[in-house]
Amino acid sequence: MFKKVLVANRGEIALRIIRACRELGIATVAIFSEADRAALHVRLADEAFCVGPGPSARSYLNIPNIISTALITGADALHPGYGFLAENARFAQICADHGITFIGPSADVIAQMGDKANAKEMMKAAGVPVTPGTGVLASPADAASGARKIGYPVLLKATAGGGGRGMRRIMEEGELENAFRAAESEAEANFGDGRIYMEKLILHPRHIEVQVLADSHGGIVHLGERDCSIQKPSHQKLIEEAPAPGLDAHVRDRLCAVAVTAAQACEYTNAGTLEFLVSGDDVYFMEMNTRIQVEHPVTELIYGVDLVKEQIRIAFGEPLGFGQGDLSPHGHAIECRINAEDPDRDFAPAAGLVSAVELPGGPGIRVDTHLFAGLAVPPYYDSLLAKIVAVGRTRASAISRMERALAETRIEGVKTTVELCGEILRDPRFVDGAVPIDFLPDAFMVERERALAQA
Amino acid sequence: MTFEDLIASRVRPLAETLLREGLHALRIGEADLEIELSRSVPSGGSPQPASLERPTAVESHPAYDVITSEVVGRVRFLRPPATVGTLVEGDRELAFVETLGIRNPIRSRGPGRVAVVFVEEGQAVDYGAPLFALDRS
Repeated sequence: MFKKVLVANRGEIALRIIRACRELGIATVAIFSEADRAALHVRLADEAFCVGPGPSARSYLNIPNIISTALITGADALHPGYGFLAENARFAQICADHGITFIGPSADVIAQMGDKANAKEMMKAAGVPVTPGTGVLASPADAASGARKIGYPVLLKATAGGGGRGMRRIMEEGELENAFRAAESEAEANFGDGRIYMEKLILHPRHIEVQVLADSHGGIVHLGERDCSIQKPSHQKLIEEAPAPGLDAHVRDRLCAVAVTAAQACEYTNAGTLEFLVSGDDVYFMEMNTRIQVEHPVTELIYGVDLVKEQIRIAFGEPLGFGQGDLSPHGHAIECRINAEDPDRDFAPAAGLVSAVELPGGPGIRVDTHLFAGLAVPPYYDSLLAKIVAVGRTRASAISRMERALAETRIEGVKTTVELCGEILRDPRFVDGAVPIDFLPDAFMVERERALAQA
Repeated sequence: MTFEDLIASRVRPLAETLLREGLHALRIGEADLEIELSRSVPSGGSPQPASLERPTAVESHPAYDVITSEVVGRVRFLRPPATVGTLVEGDRELAFVETLGIRNPIRSRGPGRVAVVFVEEGQAVDYGAPLFALDRS
């Protein structure tokens, strides 16, 4: 097994990786920015190196300093977590060139899947159903001709994208030019790559994704689906669950089979997620995320598999210790993302000092967090503070556990999404299950704003 | 005794003792002199880069300008190396930090006298690690 893993991330996912390493008997090296000097991952790792100042471009994205840290400390592997350098093919290649095992798929596969337009073409060729769309768009005029061919409404997306950044919905041609410019500059700012492509906007779909694990010996399994349809207006996920409520068995089987086919088509190794839009019986491949995802705990809780440990074992070259027949889901799990942001002000990020923290516990509750009382939330990074995950025998019991856990949660000093998550869980439409991705931005938040204005 | 001599003869050996013994703070008192050094250390106790073991007393001296590392790498001194007492004119290279085979010069950013050398040849340093203190007065 690896002797020492460099954890190239921060926040809760850095802790998650450190925990997996410790349980496997692997030493850890944390990296941190000056803004994270007091962070929990710095304290829990065996060694810690400062790689730059607060802004991530100069610290968590500082490839020379991160690689240098790995070489100086003698780390033989590197776990990128999610975000930052997790889907940067060049970085994965640089790790390989320096004899450091990148815990994830090969640089080639990351590059293939990271170019979202190219990934769709590849999947289409492999027989995977995709949404109608265009290649990379050179100009707003190019976009307009593409949109006329596909038919409005359309969605502009960043080819290097993820997490909803660089995405714009366009209902008619008049909105196109401004939206194109905005998506382009947002993509450039977030990913250093301003290339944009277009897809047909599927109305009222659900976002359902399939987790796969593939080893380097041809072994591959899926670990079912996650429903991530509760998304903020920015398309970022807020509440995820597994299995997807009310999904027809034949649609589920088709999704999982397609996911395995797709992963095999690109000779995928390690943990990956294939994201689909589901509308009735129709499924459309959106993109493949070549990394561990934020919402991986809901899958872990119903399958009893530690996905991060599996990532590490696969990267070391071990074969999967189980086959598809050994895997079956038990119960239902829900995750709420507790973000430092103000739902009453368009989810504006809320940096500041967390003065008090009380986290939930008890039966069926898992909390993945880097929070502690006295933590100063820096303004530079993702706003995720904690993931509260509830598991129960049924969806109803998972929901009631989650409601109870949210009621126990107290985070003072910064605005968070705790109360909003509770409100969503109590909404009869959520309780019924199978809400589409437009439910939160176009219905729930609009109604909520109206109610707040009247109060 | 000048302040530079004080740093060289008293503070630096104390700082080394502090690090070697793994202490968090150290106070030495004599007739007309009291020196207190402290550092912030994360738990774990394994080798840490220099920036986590920063002697804070030295930096608070107003005439001292602490030059820190911008990169993660290993310190390489020049021949002859800049040592305590070295007089620097203009913007001179004091040492370099080697990162992935690349030489990152550490410059004095102006004239002064080297008052403290925080690092040793080959030592691993991270971003913000103090390398030299220059007395600009």
